[in-house]
Amino acid sequence: MNAGSLTWRAPVIGVFVAFMTVPVVATALFSVATRWDRTLWPEGLTLNWWIKVASRSAFTDTLLNSFWVAMTSMLVSLIIVVPAAYVAHTRLPHAKPWLEFLSIVPFSLPGVVLALGLIRLYSKLPLPLINTPNILIAAYVIVTLPFMYRAVMNTLESVDTRLLVEAAQSLGANPLQVLAWVIVPNIASGIVNGSLLVLSAVFSEFVLANLLIGTRLKTFPIYLVEFTRSDARQASALALMSFVIAWIISLAILWTAGRPAKRRQADSPVRGR
Amino acid sequence: MNRHWLTWIGLAPFLAFVLAFEILPVLTLLRSSLTGEGGPTLDNFARALTPTTLTAFTNSLKLAVATAFGGTLFGSVVAYAIVTSHSPAMRHAMTALANVAANFGGAPLAFAFVITLGSTGFVTLLLGYLGIQLYPDFRIYSITGLGIAYLYFQTPLAILLVMPALLGLRPEWREAAEILGATTLQYWRRVALPILAPAISASFFLVFANAFGAYATAWTLTGSDVNLIPVQIAALVRGEVVLDPALADALAILSLLVMAACLLAYQYFARRMRRTA
Repeated sequence: MNAGSLTWRAPVIGVFVAFMTVPVVATALFSVATRWDRTLWPEGLTLNWWIKVASRSAFTDTLLNSFWVAMTSMLVSLIIVVPAAYVAHTRLPHAKPWLEFLSIVPFSLPGVVLALGLIRLYSKLPLPLINTPNILIAAYVIVTLPFMYRAVMNTLESVDTRLLVEAAQSLGANPLQVLAWVIVPNIASGIVNGSLLVLSAVFSEFVLANLLIGTRLKTFPIYLVEFTRSDARQASALALMSFVIAWIISLAILWTAGRPAKRRQADSPVRGR
Repeated sequence: MNRHWLTWIGLAPFLAFVLAFEILPVLTLLRSSLTGEGGPTLDNFARALTPTTLTAFTNSLKLAVATAFGGTLFGSVVAYAIVTSHSPAMRHAMTALANVAANFGGAPLAFAFVITLGSTGFVTLLLGYLGIQLYPDFRIYSITGLGIAYLYFQTPLAILLVMPALLGLRPEWREAAEILGATTLQYWRRVALPILAPAISASFFLVFANAFGAYATAWTLTGSDVNLIPVQIAALVRGEVVLDPALADALAILSLLVMAACLLAYQYFARRMRRTA
């Protein structure tokens, strides 16, 4: 039985690993190949494409734009989600199913549909939203709501908040002090996990960036798509960078999150495709 | 009184934000899709049934069903191989790989597939050496090629979704079945699959929704060549096609209905899964 199960397991895992790694490895090789379209192996190796693509000012600009948008979205998300989750959990248990529902809805909202809705709603209103980074950040906070809310609520539910609050209050802390000095440190793992999920989702997001502000604030994925149409070799360097960034953030999530949080992450379809 | 006030300070920003950027945009689409020149009407939905949008719907459904089915099937088999593997290092490495790969998508992934399965791609060349000519019958820029690229993120997502249920399969159940004289096939049909069914169904619906709403991969790989619902809506958003906005809104609402149905189905099976676990 054991020898038999080994024989089927090896090819299954082999096919899976090959399917997951060959496209990435091929992209990596392509980005350092002098020429690779006639022979099975690259004809020569060079770092030219990497140097070329990284020396452009647009490269640094788009990386910084993406970084800035991701950080801002993460901060806004923290500011609106953490206090809401906290008060719902500690004082308004009746509100929890509603918050839960509101933070799950974005899963059923394809990026194109959200973009269409935002444009329809705000194009006529005299607010500084349409065609500004503000609308993009708002959209990012919404689509990453499931990640942030779940991560924060999971840790809140695993901590005895009532005991902590009572202990802090008996020592004379006011509610804000309780939140900042007692609750936040105790749910830090969930906050970090949620923040990393937001960062990785926003960093690789293309749909909303493309439809909501397009070229006004070029993000890294938009820059990459432009290159796939003009210069495949430099695009492959960008694509690999994008994989590596996603990879680093995913590993950071795996490290910070315990097993339960890992499962939660699995529950969530990922944005940006 | 003071505490009540603080509760609202905590909740209000969240509620206001969600109202402004989640609820109201959807309601705007809904209202506009149901409004004609003369008031409330279903006319926009009737007009949405043009051959182009019907093809888009069929293509999107085909792509989502095929990659959800393929991804869940392949993912379940891989997950079972991972779970029953005797080496903990292998189990951790494979779970990490699934976690990381499920996050790859969009433009970089589409491009990686051009490098791999394009007309001069690595695998295309490799198969050529082995005497298998992929081109011109196969094209990565087609709906089939798109399906293969989607499977890249559908499979690991399915693995992550099915794995917890597989971990819940107790070896004793198999032993009990064997003692009672069950064959391997009977064990799977009568014991294991009924237990796994909710998890597998839940996974199917979630990855289906995942593929149905996907746009970035399709756009990077095929532009507007493959007619899909998200591609149609995006074209309307960008104003590439001159059409009445209400029609675009009707399309958006129709795809929201598909997504909502999938996620309700997912929730239903996920709940049943929790009950059996």
